[in-house]
Amino acid sequence: MLSCEGADFSKVLKRYDIDLQVEMTPQEMAAKLLPSDPVFHKVAEEVLYMRFKSVGPVVTQALSERNPLDIINNGLVAGMEIVAKLYAEHVYYLPEIMMAAKTMEIGIAIAEKQVPGGLTPKATVIMHAAEGDPHDIGKNIAAVMMRASGYEVIDMGRDVPVVDAVAKAKEVKPLFMSGTALMTTTMTAFPAEAAMLKEAGLEIPLMGCGGAVNREYANSYDLGIYSEKAPQTPIIAQKLLDGYDWKKIREEWDDIVNGA
Amino acid sequence: MAVKRYTKMAYACADDMVFGKSLEPISYGFGLKIGAGEVIPEINYAPRAGTEKDPERLRKEYVDYISKDILNRAVTAGFPNVQLETEWVSQMNQAKLSVPVVAGQKEICEKYHEEYGVNCAVRQTIPDQREAEEGLRPGMGGSHAYPEKLFECAEIACENGADNLSCESVGGKEFADYAVTNGDIVGFLFGVGYLGSIDMTYIWQEFSEIAKKNKCVAGGDTNCSGANVSMFMAGGFLDNDVQKTFSAVTRCISAARTLAAWESGAVGPDKDCGYEGVICKAIAGKPTAQEGKNCQCAHCDLQGNLIAQCCDLWSNESVEYHPEFGGTSVQCWFGSIAYEAALMNTATQLGQAKTLRDMYMYADRYRGPEAYVLAYDHAYMVGQAIAENGDDLYLRAKAAGLTGAKIILQGYESKELGLTNKQLETLQDIIKKLEELPDDTDKFYEYCCKEYKDTVPLFNPKSYDL
Repeated sequence: MLSCEGADFSKVLKRYDIDLQVEMTPQEMAAKLLPSDPVFHKVAEEVLYMRFKSVGPVVTQALSERNPLDIINNGLVAGMEIVAKLYAEHVYYLPEIMMAAKTMEIGIAIAEKQVPGGLTPKATVIMHAAEGDPHDIGKNIAAVMMRASGYEVIDMGRDVPVVDAVAKAKEVKPLFMSGTALMTTTMTAFPAEAAMLKEAGLEIPLMGCGGAVNREYANSYDLGIYSEKAPQTPIIAQKLLDGYDWKKIREEWDDIVNGA
Repeated sequence: MAVKRYTKMAYACADDMVFGKSLEPISYGFGLKIGAGEVIPEINYAPRAGTEKDPERLRKEYVDYISKDILNRAVTAGFPNVQLETEWVSQMNQAKLSVPVVAGQKEICEKYHEEYGVNCAVRQTIPDQREAEEGLRPGMGGSHAYPEKLFECAEIACENGADNLSCESVGGKEFADYAVTNGDIVGFLFGVGYLGSIDMTYIWQEFSEIAKKNKCVAGGDTNCSGANVSMFMAGGFLDNDVQKTFSAVTRCISAARTLAAWESGAVGPDKDCGYEGVICKAIAGKPTAQEGKNCQCAHCDLQGNLIAQCCDLWSNESVEYHPEFGGTSVQCWFGSIAYEAALMNTATQLGQAKTLRDMYMYADRYRGPEAYVLAYDHAYMVGQAIAENGDDLYLRAKAAGLTGAKIILQGYESKELGLTNKQLETLQDIIKKLEELPDDTDKFYEYCCKEYKDTVPLFNPKSYDL
């Protein structure tokens, strides 16, 4: 092997990941963000520190002191919002998001039982991976993020026939339907699905996602909108809830996702 | 096909490995010799959206446009060798779509070899569409019958002119997806290292028989569905999904799985996207296809130069067919990889192959843990850990992961390799978890079945004959 003695590798590469890393710990960052109410604080900490084995007893205890809807919103969801903040700041990473979301879901399932009439989701969305496409990891991550943001997700899985996806959309009339594709020859399912929805008179936005799909392609068919990565999906969903249609989402896409 | 596990290293030492040469070179196609002294450029491509809707359009796309463009560029720029790789789109599991493409590519390769003397061949990479929920073995009753179709595709490819039969198999993916997104190294070890190796052994025994029957070369596989997912999600320096120390260890584990194809009758070269190929080459001495800096059309990784260090084929990964300023996309990217291969082959001719190998390696050695563990000296050590435990699929994968993790930790402690605090924390956690695991395969299996009962509900032991 060649000797590298005397070689200065800082002239060859720069480790931006080390240079720019956030030195603060999750505890330090979260200290200012956690709820001040002691009960909600304790519940939020369960989510923040991904204690999915103990969140059940903690929520059960909290239910004897606070009402269930407040525990969900001011404890569990508040904890998840801190997790999202830590993720955005590069203190937390994907595994923390996944485990925190799981923890929150366990807590919500317990608290929800005591909410009269159950919990009302913000909206229902349908997610699927395109017909012929077995790649669904991105869709699964986006689904977790959507659930964590308060949406009901109908996850149809992968390799979903075009007709099945459209039939489900006709039945449920979701806020939007997302499709994921990793192959150029499977993403053609999305314009086909969009055309069938249009034909049925349904203006349901069809979000094209996945490695093979780019913004130009997702915008090439009526109803098509684009999400480049999972964290953008709940942000776009909120805009749809605010009354944006698929055309306005396209027009303002850069501002909406704003680097997310 | 009998299975022969590797328990010894093919190469006596890491320094014996170099690009363009393997201990067991292979000849196939029209005059192509892999691992026999020269690096061969391997160009991969994807048809434009919509062409899959009609057999004639698809044939025309693959044969009259893509293949012809590549072979013309080889002649235009004076490149003597080229391997084409057709990664079948999912629709090609129908013979009416795949047969004309496979046969047409064979025909055009023969024409260019005869008319111009271009040495060429086609790797046909068949799609593994199997889904865990429907079962991975034939006869498990899935509505799509994907396991049956997998072997039908192998037959179609080999019967109609494939020179090299390859696959990107998905055994263990149900665990890999969960493990990568949740940062669970034990789940990855179980899914990819253990279950994936069982699946690989099964399918490659079958593939090898099919290939042999049709005088086709059974090439190899990759852990694209596991370690590459991990690497892509670890991404670049500003990404924050998966830790690069996690990704680096998954790569080491994946080598134990990819190796199983060669133990089950495949002879190489393996698949370009298997960055673990250098580890497998160290163990088996068979030629490996790699991709790095000249696959920016498909993705950016953090070992673009380093990974060329011991390659036998040099690939662009994949590019969609479309026009560029310099020709079609396949011509442009073929030029990119072929000129790089020419540089490597020039180094060989000038007696400087090891010098260039080391320059490639040093260019990225410290770029991050993924590159560090794949530097050929370290890759060799990971290979030794696999070979020392070669007869036990679980123990060898665990040894690969643990050895890789300790190489990275040692690099950090010696101040040779920088790590972020989070990368280090993840690495220490990985070592702790791997060291806590039992040394008995049955106990490990029992533990995992219990541990992942709820979190990986798609796991079906019957898919692995367990």
